[in-house]
Amino acid sequence: MKYDIRYKPSFATLFLTLQPGEQIFAEAGAMASMSGKLSMDTTFFGGLIPGLLKSFLGGESLFLNEFSNKTQSPQEIVLTQSSVGDITQIQLNGREICLQPGAYIAHTRGTKVQLRWAGFASWFAGEGLFKLKLSGKGMVFFGAYGGLSTVEVQDSFVVDNGHLVAYEPGIKMNIGMSGGLLGSVTSGEGFINRLEGRGKIYLQSRSVDGLVRFLRTQLGYVTELFLLTLCCFNL
Amino acid sequence: MKLELLHQPDSAIAKVHMGPQEELLAEAGAMVAMSSHINVSTTLRKGKGGGVFGGLKRMMGGESLFMSVFRSGSSAAELYLAPKLMGDILPYTLSGTELVIQSSSYLASTPSVQIDLGFTGFKSLFSGESLFWLTANGSGLVMLNAFGSIYEIEVDGDYVVDTGHIVAFERSLDYSISKANKSWAGAFFSGEGFVCQFRGRAKVWCQTHNPGAFGRKVGGKLPPR
Repeated sequence: MKYDIRYKPSFATLFLTLQPGEQIFAEAGAMASMSGKLSMDTTFFGGLIPGLLKSFLGGESLFLNEFSNKTQSPQEIVLTQSSVGDITQIQLNGREICLQPGAYIAHTRGTKVQLRWAGFASWFAGEGLFKLKLSGKGMVFFGAYGGLSTVEVQDSFVVDNGHLVAYEPGIKMNIGMSGGLLGSVTSGEGFINRLEGRGKIYLQSRSVDGLVRFLRTQLGYVTELFLLTLCCFNL
Repeated sequence: MKLELLHQPDSAIAKVHMGPQEELLAEAGAMVAMSSHINVSTTLRKGKGGGVFGGLKRMMGGESLFMSVFRSGSSAAELYLAPKLMGDILPYTLSGTELVIQSSSYLASTPSVQIDLGFTGFKSLFSGESLFWLTANGSGLVMLNAFGSIYEIEVDGDYVVDTGHIVAFERSLDYSISKANKSWAGAFFSGEGFVCQFRGRAKVWCQTHNPGAFGRKVGGKLPPR
């Protein structure tokens, strides 16, 4: 399989050429365009029940699309992500990687996709009860909102949960608030994640939550107007 | 008229050098800055897709009811135009050919280009995108904008594009909007929704990112209006 990530880092997009008999699995909605000769099948993400669980509790799509080349000549497909930012790839070769919700884009054959219990703290932080764990011999593509940085965690490290994209499973996560409830709210740091262990982590330079928080303040008057109206009716 | 594109591809802005007595039409709200002697007027397009009804249709298509007309007058002028979203701008020179443009991708055009609103029919209403197509005829310059970068595909045979990723295509292509999957359930669950199937030999321009998908990702976390 030939692949090329173009328009890095702001608009990274994955251009793939599938040889006859090859296939790629991609997140629902990731296909931007493709040759009309490729076949597409929709399957449940990791089986029906885990798929359902993931959809309701993990905040990601229930479905996965399989694009396969059943012709005799190479065919092209373009995959992308919903947010603007960088895309990277990992050749697993026995390694494992955990992806935060929204990061996953595609994987090749030979990759095992599992759901991993993330814990209530993660759910509380708006990240879902489950995480994706990918293992095996295939290749995984994932993306970020903004640029991607990698950090080799040696012992322990603290990250803002909204900026964490992926991490190796040797790392244990402890999601908590930065300095108590009041401190967490006032500092604007939200949920922090104390990582412990050894392994590589991937961080995104912007967070969707940050953008949402900014936009919320710009929309604020709507809520206030609504409350004001309620008060008027009560009077 | 001379066109200069700055800050491509992530924050493209068009710097237009206008000669005396020149005119440019643009999407309302696209003007960033201009020489003070430029005369600006607002118009509802006339002809097919114009007038009040055409303007209403354009509004339904997610476009402004109005268009801006910039006239340089007696001396040369400068005009800066930019789209709303981050992304690239594509200049296209029409010479007797016809171009079909996804309406939200239209940025500006010279007056010798005729822009018409073409309605593809009921099918596109279900696609969830503001699938109102503009057709550009005549000869002159059209400026298109995109969310993300723009990549060109030379279609030779069959090619499929997600409706949210189409910027424009040459009219000589045969196109039909259909569901991405054979079954309705599959089309609904696959997340690909509707796709445009192109047939023939001509060019189609795609945007790397889908404005609707990003809008839903961010908009879904905002309080309801």
